[in-house]
Amino acid sequence: MRAVLLDGGLGSMLIAAGLEAGRAPEWWNFEHPERIEAVHRAYLEAGSDLVHTNTFGANPLRLATAGLAGRCREVNGAAVEIARRACEGGALVAGDVGPTGHMLPPLGTTTVDQLQRAFREQAEALAEAGADLISIETMSDLREALAAVEAARATSLAVHVSMTFERRRRGVFTIMGDPLVPSLIALAEAGADAVGFNCSVTSAEMATMVREAAPFIRVPLSAQPNAGQPRVTPEGVAYDASPEAFARDVAAMVEAGAAMVGGCCGTTPEFIRQARATIERVAKR
Amino acid sequence: MTDRQVLFSALRVAVLDGDDAAAGRLATQALAEGVPALEAIEQGLVPGIRQAGQRWEEGEYFLPELVTAAQAMKAAMMVLQPALDRDDPSSSLGRVVIGTVEGDIHDIGKTLVGTLLSASGFTVSDEGASVPVARFVARAQEFGADLVCASALLTTTMPKQRELAAALKGSGLRAKLMVGGAPVNKGWADAIGADGYADNALAAVAVARELVGRGATD
Repeated sequence: MRAVLLDGGLGSMLIAAGLEAGRAPEWWNFEHPERIEAVHRAYLEAGSDLVHTNTFGANPLRLATAGLAGRCREVNGAAVEIARRACEGGALVAGDVGPTGHMLPPLGTTTVDQLQRAFREQAEALAEAGADLISIETMSDLREALAAVEAARATSLAVHVSMTFERRRRGVFTIMGDPLVPSLIALAEAGADAVGFNCSVTSAEMATMVREAAPFIRVPLSAQPNAGQPRVTPEGVAYDASPEAFARDVAAMVEAGAAMVGGCCGTTPEFIRQARATIERVAKR
Repeated sequence: MTDRQVLFSALRVAVLDGDDAAAGRLATQALAEGVPALEAIEQGLVPGIRQAGQRWEEGEYFLPELVTAAQAMKAAMMVLQPALDRDDPSSSLGRVVIGTVEGDIHDIGKTLVGTLLSASGFTVSDEGASVPVARFVARAQEFGADLVCASALLTTTMPKQRELAAALKGSGLRAKLMVGGAPVNKGWADAIGADGYADNALAAVAVARELVGRGATD
């Protein structure tokens, strides 16, 4: 079976297109829809089967800190509309859901119930606007990821959920201490239709995570690494992996059992183009 | 072990376990028994937080354990600080304004650094998250800051650290600038003209000491 090719980084592309430091990317759904659509189209032309909407921070809790309080429905609706225009050729629109930025105890005082309400509001807005599925990403607290899955499932759309892990001395964990395989199993048991990991690590590291997790996960597994490690330069942030090296690791991930692959921070349409070529090559073997 | 050593050990464990109620209670007990506040800090709290830092390095502790350890330390400091000021009114190592840069709502790392700086003897004003450059500068002036600490957790908000470095230089204030945050490194700190950089909360205390730390007799 041919692996599904997701898109690459959106935030880093918008920064390259002029998004100012400190500004929430969600503003651009109103101010520069054409620039977002251009990024979606670039990924589709490069071979993506699916694009993520520009709604990573579009849950009500996070919108409130970005000057967009009370505009959850509007922001998500606009973003889906932009992605839908770009996907008229038939690619899928994934309604993107990111963490709220509000912490559960002991780090914060937010309750699971508050998180769930926020996610439900966003998921409903995405569904109502016509997203094809919900894609939850970059979660580091399993409890928050589960709250998002439950809220997304209430829409009856398919749900993909991805957490962000790092290798520590005693294994692979989120920064909150949630271990790789048990977390993914818990998410699948909670009803997620696909589970996986994104961000934080390089494609080489992520290929090893796929090898570790794939034998234990019964639903499709996704992997969206960064374009290597961020390197900070006086001009801003650059990532150190080449599209070629990334594509080699995509082959390793697909062969190890990843059913969906894509890129996270720093990846560009060129990374996706080369990943597409790799996927076709692996599928022919 | 002497009674004092038992008490110090209990303080250390309270911090390590992130037990803020026990840490506060033991700090009160220390003062009641006539233990100098500085001794309780140096022999109880500091070893506790150091050990928590080691467990983080070893992959045994995660963010929740590290933060609750810092919170326990803070609870004990709330009790000890007044006594510390009484013992030596000029004991502050320096005055620090700390915050996360504008557009960045991440709070945890910055709060951890602020807690450890204040536990180590700095006088800290924590401005919270998403602090505009102008407010950093205004607060540095009002507060008479020796040091401004600015955290950025996103590659999209890091450029605000550069703006802050320029604004502080332009303001003519004496405050030095330390930067930190997950995507930040020494190269970036140097490139933007910051005075210091630390890659974790314990290192931040050492760097702050180097940059502005004054001796108790200063």
